[in-house]
Amino acid sequence: MKKLIALVLAVAMVLSLAACGGNKDNTTAAPQPGTTTEAPKPADTTPAPGTASPLAGTYQIKVWAPEAAVELTKKQINDFNSSNADGIKFEATVEAVSEADAGTNVITDVDAAADLYFFAQDQFARLVLAGALAQLGQGAGTIVKDTNDAGAVAAASVGEDLYAYPLTADNGYFMYYDKSAVNADHVGSLEDLIADCEAANKYFAMELENSAWYAISFFFGAGCVSEWTTDNDGKFIAVNDDINSDKGLIGAKGLQKLVTSKSHIESSDVGEFSKGAAIVVSGPWAYNDAKNILGDNLGAAELPSFTVDGQSYHMGNFSGYKLLGVKPTTDAARSASLHKLAQYLTSEAGQLERFQAIAWGPANKAAQDNADVKANPSLAALAAQAPYSKVQGNIPGTWWDIGKVIATDIKDAKDEAGLKAALESYNTKIQNVLKIDTTGFILVGAWNDWKNDDEAYRMEAKDGAFMFTLEVPQSDYMGGRIVVPGDWGTDRGCLIVTEGVDLLDQVGDPANGDNNIVFKEAGTYVVTYNEAANTITIVKK
Amino acid sequence: MLQPLFVRNLRKKHFASCFWIGGTMNHISDLEYLKLPKWRRALIKIAQFFISIPKAFLNLFVKIGRFFKKMGLAVGREIKDIILTFKNGDWKTRISYVIMGFGNITRGQILRGLLFLLFEGVFLFFMFKPTGGLYWMSMLPSLGKEGPGKAYDPIFDTYVTTYNDNSFQILLYGVLTIFFIIAFIVTWRMNVKQNKLAQQILDSGKPLKSGKDDLRSMVDDNFHKTLLALPLTGIIVFTVMPIVFMILVAFTNYDGTHDGYSNALFTWVGLENFNTMLGIGGSGSKVYAATFGEILLWTLVWAFFATFTNYFLGMLVAMMINKKGIQFKKGWRTILVMTIAIPQFISLLYVSKMFAQNGMVNQFLQSIGVLKGLDYIPFLEEATHARISVILINIWIGIPYLMLIATGILMNIPQDLYESAKIDGASGWKQYTKITLPYMLFITAPYLLTSFTSNMNNFNVIYLLTGGGPTNAAASTAAGSAGFTDLLITWLFKITTGAESQYYFASVIGILVFIVVAAISLIVYNLLPSVKNEEDFQ
Amino acid sequence: MKANENTSLKQHMGMKAKTRISNTVIYIILVIMSIIWLFPFVSIVLQSFRGGPVKGMTNEIIPSIWSLENYVALAKTDFFRWYLNTLIMALVVSVLQTVIVLCMSYTLSRFRFKMRKGLMRFMLILGMFPGMLTMIILYRVLKDLGLTQANAVPGLILVYVASSGMGYYVSKGFFDTIPKSLDEAARIDGATRAQVLTKIILPLAKPIVIYTILTSFMAPWGDFVFARYISFGASKGMNVAVGLFNWLSKDQINSSYTMFCAGGVIVAIPVTIIFMCLQKYYVEGVTGGAVKG
Repeated sequence: MKKLIALVLAVAMVLSLAACGGNKDNTTAAPQPGTTTEAPKPADTTPAPGTASPLAGTYQIKVWAPEAAVELTKKQINDFNSSNADGIKFEATVEAVSEADAGTNVITDVDAAADLYFFAQDQFARLVLAGALAQLGQGAGTIVKDTNDAGAVAAASVGEDLYAYPLTADNGYFMYYDKSAVNADHVGSLEDLIADCEAANKYFAMELENSAWYAISFFFGAGCVSEWTTDNDGKFIAVNDDINSDKGLIGAKGLQKLVTSKSHIESSDVGEFSKGAAIVVSGPWAYNDAKNILGDNLGAAELPSFTVDGQSYHMGNFSGYKLLGVKPTTDAARSASLHKLAQYLTSEAGQLERFQAIAWGPANKAAQDNADVKANPSLAALAAQAPYSKVQGNIPGTWWDIGKVIATDIKDAKDEAGLKAALESYNTKIQNVLKIDTTGFILVGAWNDWKNDDEAYRMEAKDGAFMFTLEVPQSDYMGGRIVVPGDWGTDRGCLIVTEGVDLLDQVGDPANGDNNIVFKEAGTYVVTYNEAANTITIVKK
Repeated sequence: MLQPLFVRNLRKKHFASCFWIGGTMNHISDLEYLKLPKWRRALIKIAQFFISIPKAFLNLFVKIGRFFKKMGLAVGREIKDIILTFKNGDWKTRISYVIMGFGNITRGQILRGLLFLLFEGVFLFFMFKPTGGLYWMSMLPSLGKEGPGKAYDPIFDTYVTTYNDNSFQILLYGVLTIFFIIAFIVTWRMNVKQNKLAQQILDSGKPLKSGKDDLRSMVDDNFHKTLLALPLTGIIVFTVMPIVFMILVAFTNYDGTHDGYSNALFTWVGLENFNTMLGIGGSGSKVYAATFGEILLWTLVWAFFATFTNYFLGMLVAMMINKKGIQFKKGWRTILVMTIAIPQFISLLYVSKMFAQNGMVNQFLQSIGVLKGLDYIPFLEEATHARISVILINIWIGIPYLMLIATGILMNIPQDLYESAKIDGASGWKQYTKITLPYMLFITAPYLLTSFTSNMNNFNVIYLLTGGGPTNAAASTAAGSAGFTDLLITWLFKITTGAESQYYFASVIGILVFIVVAAISLIVYNLLPSVKNEEDFQ
Repeated sequence: MKANENTSLKQHMGMKAKTRISNTVIYIILVIMSIIWLFPFVSIVLQSFRGGPVKGMTNEIIPSIWSLENYVALAKTDFFRWYLNTLIMALVVSVLQTVIVLCMSYTLSRFRFKMRKGLMRFMLILGMFPGMLTMIILYRVLKDLGLTQANAVPGLILVYVASSGMGYYVSKGFFDTIPKSLDEAARIDGATRAQVLTKIILPLAKPIVIYTILTSFMAPWGDFVFARYISFGASKGMNVAVGLFNWLSKDQINSSYTMFCAGGVIVAIPVTIIFMCLQKYYVEGVTGGAVKG
């Protein structure tokens, strides 16, 4: 008959479907309705002294390290296997994944990511929010706090909690230059350097229009700050940023000098030395490549100063860190073992070994005092720059996109008003990062059984005003709060009531940590949100 | 003699319809048309094109309406037939309503019956097993109830995570389950139909086809089904299903921090993402809408130039190489064709470095004194320059393909056309405009359309040459930080892999790209002469 | 009479001169074009032979130190594993894809069945969705099948082959040009449809078969977007494009660029040779099929 083939086709589909469904249960820790996914624990969970550690066992793990560190990491894991007292054996696959890409790769699929991975600090915030970093236990946390420098600890923390192990403290930048092309006396002055480059038809390479990380240098030099604050979940709740100020204007003028120079090229690649560059602003990781190109002509120095209105400002920088992250697991023993390995890799000995093998500057305080570390030329340049640097804290991912265009705006600015407009536009954009999506305000509270349900009371925009009608039924406690969708604990969404206070028994006061508003009596209320002032008014219907 | 046959055919088809010119509706014959001066003819052509646009749209809606009407009627017919079959059927047929294939097996069509039965078994197993179809369907409205949790384990002094519902899998298997249910309904209907047919055949005293007959028909009468089975299965599973899934994602808040499993569940948000992207309603910022508009415009401009520069220059090169008296024809072609054979990521990256501020081209121009000192041409650094550069570099990639295609077609143009044109004293240019160009355009019209749409989605060239840059300051807060040469497709990619991995926006853009491409294609497709007459070519 | 002859001769001479001038112009254009078209390739080949301590990108075209060390260095990396992965993919895909495309296009060209027009329109519409969109979901499907990261090779083959039915367009156009009367004659002689395809049509369709093999063989060598998404973080499962692409990342380009060029040359060799040899069929296939659509 006719439909036979269609039938076969359908069966084929079924089988492939069934195969998918079946396979799923095996390969991933899939949700099983009805069964609790409790972490499997070793049979005997109390480690008795003298007996084998409950951690003992062989673990298959994946590690992502940058190409340069792959061999070393393999060796260090082997050393750990033979030296640890718990009988932990790791069978590790170490793959080369650049620390700059690790975040993107991990977030692609946390489940399939490596158990341990090296990453640069700028991805920390994203990774915490993506649930890709396991929090450190108390013991491990104390060790990290005690042994690493304060910036490193801050770089790996959300609030009080640590989420990663500091690996290096060398994620900052300074200036490489070609001694044969740059007058040694001019190294301290940006204007002289630019003039030298223009005179010699050489390039001054610094990423400004493509990277906020470098562009911020001028603003830090002028004394600006840019710091973000997160809550305990890693969500950003406040920013302290004064780039849109007179100080910022000074920084902008300095930046404009470089970015509008013909000698300026957008790059932080020391490879530019072989294409006519005399100066490249980059970091310690590029030292060997730069040495290969320039040989003895390679010079490394702190960033120069720029002069605005007769006053000189030393360019600043971010002092950043590289971190080692542990992926969360469901198995306590495995998790504990992985943390032990991470501790081992980031210990003083581990960091020193890494410095000796591939010249990564340690974050560990004891290792930083090592004589060899202090003698390293690129780390010495970084150390010279250190008084002018600011610790790179937690920064939201979008800031990097916002911050990099400031240089483009400054480049295009014709006059001081243009510069001010650029700073203004930057400021508006960063304030928007914190601004809550106003279409998503919701009320939660006793009047709707404390549901945090997006659909319960969603504000709607009418003529630019956000308002909705709220039914408060009679009950013992007619309280609740107005929050942004998402986390219960967040305070930032709890808004202040300016009008209709007389209808309330209690007014929410985020500053004192009491967020609930409590109605005096049941009834129907109209709640309006004022977007500009970030306040609400309540009127009884 | 200068009007070759096919051109006349073309015109006949084109101008048999009525068209509007100079304020009145005119019917004019071929002859009258040919008598008109050139400019009027061009005017008529243009007018006709625009007149048919609303018509094309109208046709589309009429067609959609008709389609739904037809569908409704068909469903009604099917249901009626199912009821009637049950009423008139014998007990074997009736049992088959519950146990699929029962009738076939009892009537001797064992193979077919067993396949039906197997299908039903697998379906029921899939639906009712734990974490089976029913579970996925029940979770679909909420996309999961419980997100992951974190707990402190004091014994090992470590944190462990518990993973619970997985929104992604719920959505994926929910969609699969729906596909499966549809497949089941279709199969069940087939089963009913077959029973009816088998009963009728037996009643009329004829023998039923055996399994052997079925197998034979697979390579003969039903050969097309055999041939299509595998490709279509592949397309359904790996193209249709993912597209349906991704369309659904546009209505959720699935992103890097709501990945549905590792950090937080995602859920349905209705049209919110479309509103944000298109700047509709709410106080949502217009930056997305502005960015989208700008990128869309550039995408269309790019696609237009990328298509037509390649087309005409490729044709020109082919004609140069084909010209009588040019030696080493094969050699020239081979040289050009190397660009096709070498993967683009190798060559284009090199080319992009060549055009950098301190790249080879600028330094060469400086060394020969065209540029003074450190002056440079911002080939890829400044918006307008960069846009022109990518179009020019794209010529470098595209000419070889077009050259090959044009070579083939040019060889097929009957040479006697040119001979007679020469006798009539037509110049080279005239030969080109009267013979070569119309022939090429007629034959390659569908190709032009497809290459226009594929240029709209030309990811490689933009990604490898500029990465979308230079940065567009105004667009920096729109997801993914779009640049001046970003096409919609590269913007989509940036959003997917960018700081926040906003998959829902990627999905929204994908849908909008589809709408634009579909609209353009539909309009142009309906106007093309050569697609309508598929049979003419055989 | 004589005068006449003279003028015509003169005209003839004039035309000849004109032809000669125009040919010279064409030659000049072609030579310039050839230089522009070949320049990047020649440079890349030259770069691959550059020795010395500087391994990054430079602006020099002719290396100052010639060396084979980049090719030697390739052996120490995973390059040949990626190469093998890609070769396997290219071979398997070219066979399976050709079979599928031919099934699809032959059917749509030769058979007239109820859903034919609808099917073609449906696939046309499907093709308008940007393929990149489905990357995320395809990754998840492959992951559930266990075919990502280190096992990406079969996974990629599966996806390439499964969606290849969509690319029936060109070869359908080609089949459309083969006269239907051939089929009918064979059918009258008692051949089944399958026999018609294998005995009569396929031999005539040699150019399009080779064209399909050629294009599907070449595709896996250049895919760095989808393949990277599927095989991320696992060198074992990478194809040659993804592997080489990683060498261009910021932290590796200055130590691996010349090696990248060497790898690129090795990739380009087989593809170029095959393409050169089969160019004739490519032209026949594409002109027979694509232009008609």
